[in-house]
Amino acid sequence: MDVNRRDILKGLLGGSAIAGVVATAIPAAGRDSDAIEPVPDAVGLLYDATKCIGCRACMPACQNANGLTPDRGGSGGLYMQPDTLNAHTKNIIKLYTSADGHEKSFMKQQCMHCVDPACVSGCPMNALHKEPEGVVGWNPSLCIGCRYCQIACPFNIPKFEWDKVNPKIVKCELCRHIVGTTVSQPACTKVCPTHAVVYGKRTDLLAEAHRRIQADPGKYFEDRVYGEFEAGGTQCLVLSHVDYAKLGLPTLGKQSAPAQVRQMSEFIYRGFLTPIVLYGGLAGIMHYRWKHHLIHTETSQHHEGDPAAKPEQEKNA
Amino acid sequence: MIGKWQRCVRLDQPLFTKPFYLFASLAALAFLLGLFRELTGLGYVTGLNDGYSWGLFKNWNVTALTAMGSGGYAIAILTWLFNQRKFHPIMRTALLTSFLGYGTGMIALGFDVGRPWNFLHFNNPHNWNPHSVLMEVAVCMTAYVIFALDVENMPPFLERLYMSPDPKKSAWAMRIFYAIRASFPFFVALAFLLPSMHQSSLGGLMYLAGPRVYPLWQTPRIPLLYLLMAYILGLACVLLVLLLSSMVWDLGWDMDILEQLTKLMGRITVAWLAIQYIDLAYRGVLHLAFNFDYYSVWFLLQTFMLLVPALLLWFKPLRSQPGTLFLLTFILTMGGLIYRFTPTTIAFSPLGNYRYFPSIAEILMSIGFTSFAVTLFLIAVKRFAILPAPAGEVTAGAAVQPFDTL
Repeated sequence: MDVNRRDILKGLLGGSAIAGVVATAIPAAGRDSDAIEPVPDAVGLLYDATKCIGCRACMPACQNANGLTPDRGGSGGLYMQPDTLNAHTKNIIKLYTSADGHEKSFMKQQCMHCVDPACVSGCPMNALHKEPEGVVGWNPSLCIGCRYCQIACPFNIPKFEWDKVNPKIVKCELCRHIVGTTVSQPACTKVCPTHAVVYGKRTDLLAEAHRRIQADPGKYFEDRVYGEFEAGGTQCLVLSHVDYAKLGLPTLGKQSAPAQVRQMSEFIYRGFLTPIVLYGGLAGIMHYRWKHHLIHTETSQHHEGDPAAKPEQEKNA
Repeated sequence: MIGKWQRCVRLDQPLFTKPFYLFASLAALAFLLGLFRELTGLGYVTGLNDGYSWGLFKNWNVTALTAMGSGGYAIAILTWLFNQRKFHPIMRTALLTSFLGYGTGMIALGFDVGRPWNFLHFNNPHNWNPHSVLMEVAVCMTAYVIFALDVENMPPFLERLYMSPDPKKSAWAMRIFYAIRASFPFFVALAFLLPSMHQSSLGGLMYLAGPRVYPLWQTPRIPLLYLLMAYILGLACVLLVLLLSSMVWDLGWDMDILEQLTKLMGRITVAWLAIQYIDLAYRGVLHLAFNFDYYSVWFLLQTFMLLVPALLLWFKPLRSQPGTLFLLTFILTMGGLIYRFTPTTIAFSPLGNYRYFPSIAEILMSIGFTSFAVTLFLIAVKRFAILPAPAGEVTAGAAVQPFDTL
């Protein structure tokens, strides 16, 4: 009765070997579909830092369109002057100046609307989601306020209303509440006097970006568009003559973090096969062990003299 | 006093002692601060910000302390899967620490989430995001507490119900007992599966943060490291609780059980360190550990606090002394907790100019939730037959048949 441990371990090994074979036999289709392609109608922004004059007209336009209270923190309360994206600011123009002062570039910061967003992948309740045209939207009625999106976003975009009892996640949603109904484009692109930021389909914006690069090779940093491939591609694209890393855009690989997580999960879970096989095996072993445990304990006599234990029959009568 | 632990006993000691008042008032303070947080907002009570949006509550009370709460899981694997029935007398202690570790972790989580009322939508699986590792953790943890830990922790309570003078209550206790007894293997199998899933996924959570977590900690093997650390810390927590209880309440020292747990904990720790360093070498970032910068110092401190006790506990004279055993296990536990705590705080770097240090209120709340667990532990071991004791003269507080089979 006692040590059948070896047999059980053998059984476990055999079971996991079978599970492994079955799992690897399942076509590796999951691997290829890990990369997500942009939807055909995906919309986004193209921001060209060489055209931006830093007028910041887009910032109050964004405030008005989204009904945000202006952040006056940086100006001593006189006028709108946020120093970074925050719960009152979905869009900001920053100026980068190198240490020697010779290299300068403006930078527009807002949600990049990733093709395969980490925030959407991590959001437990689907509060953050992709709209039909690829805009990353936030649904207040599903968000539990766990802030995993803030941990996940490689661009550090989603902001949280830390001083509210009913806090919201604040981030650019490309004016999805008005675009297509009252207006044809987001507030920031509408007011931009130099068309430094334009709104359109991602395919068109990408073609336009490449046209600008080809028209003047060497003008833009490494002759590339930031967001074409970064983190699996973003729908908002950036052009600048300055190293993108210096503008606060992280250096990211072509594979998105969500795709890596899906690969890792698939490796472990095998489409939920692992937990099922594991549970079956564990329940089997436990069933066997439990049977023997009951035989052993309920026939042993060492509790007989316990005066606290009332006779069972009397109790059940 | 050396004694072989063979059964569970209730401590017949006064409940309202000075330590009880201390822990209970710390817990009460935490709940008061929690109430204040619910009426104002997270920003007024915590040091959290848009860069470091996860702090003590999630990283300490949930990620780190549920690893400490994996004692029930680790001991159950030993007792049942590896058929080491001599660990049966410490099962109740282990399961209670698990329940309290997870329970208080979930309380901390309740105060941490910003929009808790939307948990209502959690009841509809249609809203679950199947790709979200956090959803998996949430579902598995809740299921573990509700379906496994609750059932496993039932026997001491049923026992008391059974002993009541009212025959109706006794009959109910027996009915529930037999229902659990019939289905017990299926609950225990769940208690093996669910922690395996969520303890590894707690590490998997940080994989989504990609390059924001420093390469010494960010690895595709992070779920494995988190899972193994749960075994280590689970065993460590049971050891610490048993050693402390023996010191305080004179339960005798079953050095056979204690040493076996220690040996196992030490060996898993050495294996864990080997896996971590091999993974670093495999990914080609081993040199980062010896840069002696901020990250490297934390990393080496953690290695040191794990390796030194693990190696010292290999020597029999050191681990057969309850005093040194406690000290070394405590250091090892701290090392393990630093590991579980690191990826979301020390090793995490958001873009921009953000700093995080927990506020005083946040620290008090975090301590208070742990104190709540200690308070409940004190009540439980004095009211129910939980702690192990040597066989001896029979006392009224011992576990009774047939409830002691569970």
